[in-house]
Amino acid sequence: MAKQYKVVHCTINGKKVEQVVDVRASLTDMLRNDFRLTSVKKGCEVGECGACTVIINGEGFNSCIYLAVWAEGKEIWTLEGLTGPGGELSDIQQAFIDEGAIQCGFCTPGFIMTSWEIVNSGREYTDDELRKALSGHLCRCTGYENIFRAVKKTMLRHLGKFEEAEKVNSQGITEYPEPMPFK
Amino acid sequence: MATQLLMAKSPSEAMGLKTADAAFLAGGTEVNRLGSEAAAGAETLISLKRCSGMDHIEKDGDNLRIGAMCTFQKLVESDIVPAYMKEAAHFMASRTKRNMATVGGNIAALRSDSYLLPTLFAVCARLEVLTREGQENICVNSFMEEALSGKEMLITEVIVPLGIKAVSKRYANTAQSHAVLTMSAAVTEKGITMAAAVKNSGIYRFRKLEEALRSGEDMSEDDMIAFFRGAEGLSISDDMFGSVEYKRYLLGVTAYDLSRKLADSGKGV
Repeated sequence: MAKQYKVVHCTINGKKVEQVVDVRASLTDMLRNDFRLTSVKKGCEVGECGACTVIINGEGFNSCIYLAVWAEGKEIWTLEGLTGPGGELSDIQQAFIDEGAIQCGFCTPGFIMTSWEIVNSGREYTDDELRKALSGHLCRCTGYENIFRAVKKTMLRHLGKFEEAEKVNSQGITEYPEPMPFK
Repeated sequence: MATQLLMAKSPSEAMGLKTADAAFLAGGTEVNRLGSEAAAGAETLISLKRCSGMDHIEKDGDNLRIGAMCTFQKLVESDIVPAYMKEAAHFMASRTKRNMATVGGNIAALRSDSYLLPTLFAVCARLEVLTREGQENICVNSFMEEALSGKEMLITEVIVPLGIKAVSKRYANTAQSHAVLTMSAAVTEKGITMAAAVKNSGIYRFRKLEEALRSGEDMSEDDMIAFFRGAEGLSISDDMFGSVEYKRYLLGVTAYDLSRKLADSGKGV
């Protein structure tokens, strides 16, 4: 049977686009090959490592197991869309650098996209919830703690809790000057 | 290998498009994983993503009706979904995957490491399915038997009971790995029920064990281990996930753990 193609219309990083794709192509392939958005990494290709994570209509998805044709009418954000007009890094990207949450960098774009969704949710996640929310990503270098700290600090800053963010220590635990009083 | 993708707009349209060499495509999270070769061999995939009215969660008396295209994440976030379904959905550890994986897709994939099937077996869930003859309401056990015999069906709704207690346990090397065993136990109106998904073996309901427990037999952990060591009808094999002896032992200790957990928590929700 001959290959089948379809036209996909969607918004990528704020820009409306139209692209002819093989109906079997993954969104990862479309973003990398047709739009040169190479922050979207091809890792496991079965939705387990999280390196290909993009934001679709405000929620994180593994683009490697998401068909490109399913993106019709959707709003998609990749890491390239987070930087400012002059290439300025977003606060979550800067936090990854500041906290040493990067080593080889392969998993980083995926982690940042999920983190971006978390810090922009307007919700304060508990440490356990934060770890669970990040559990769809695998990192073989950093040991996760620095990543966790970067996300927690940025989340607290987004919630206006600047002092609390500064108290997040190297173990990712918020330190208080005195023991918390019992209620 | 699939070369054609069709986008259905309704369940009936999807059923109309179904041919012998076609497969339904729901969330797509299991298609590329080992163990889903049957779907991967289809010439045509019929995507259900654009089928409207298939992702609802609604109370219906003592039951909850869950649309087949409802995602795992929607289950986790819902206020009306019972805790046992959320626990089963959480076995899929990645939130990005839960955003895609659908209830109907996970059932229809009939994987031996299914996230949901043991729980649905244990709580005696029912399914609304669309067949060539029309709409049918069948229990999840019948669905599995008929699907394995080749009957063409499309799950449209999953119906689970509210107000019952069910607990589950899953064993895998990592949160993302294939599970060697997922087991569930529930207290239904008939009494205790138990079911398990054993990797590379299948989904089982342990009716003899249920009968023994319902008759008031007080089974120790050793009794449970002995029961599964000698249980007939389990086609378990040695493989990379473990030996036959290991899997049968694991069934025994897990059945005991779950029955204790149910007993400790009482029959309330």
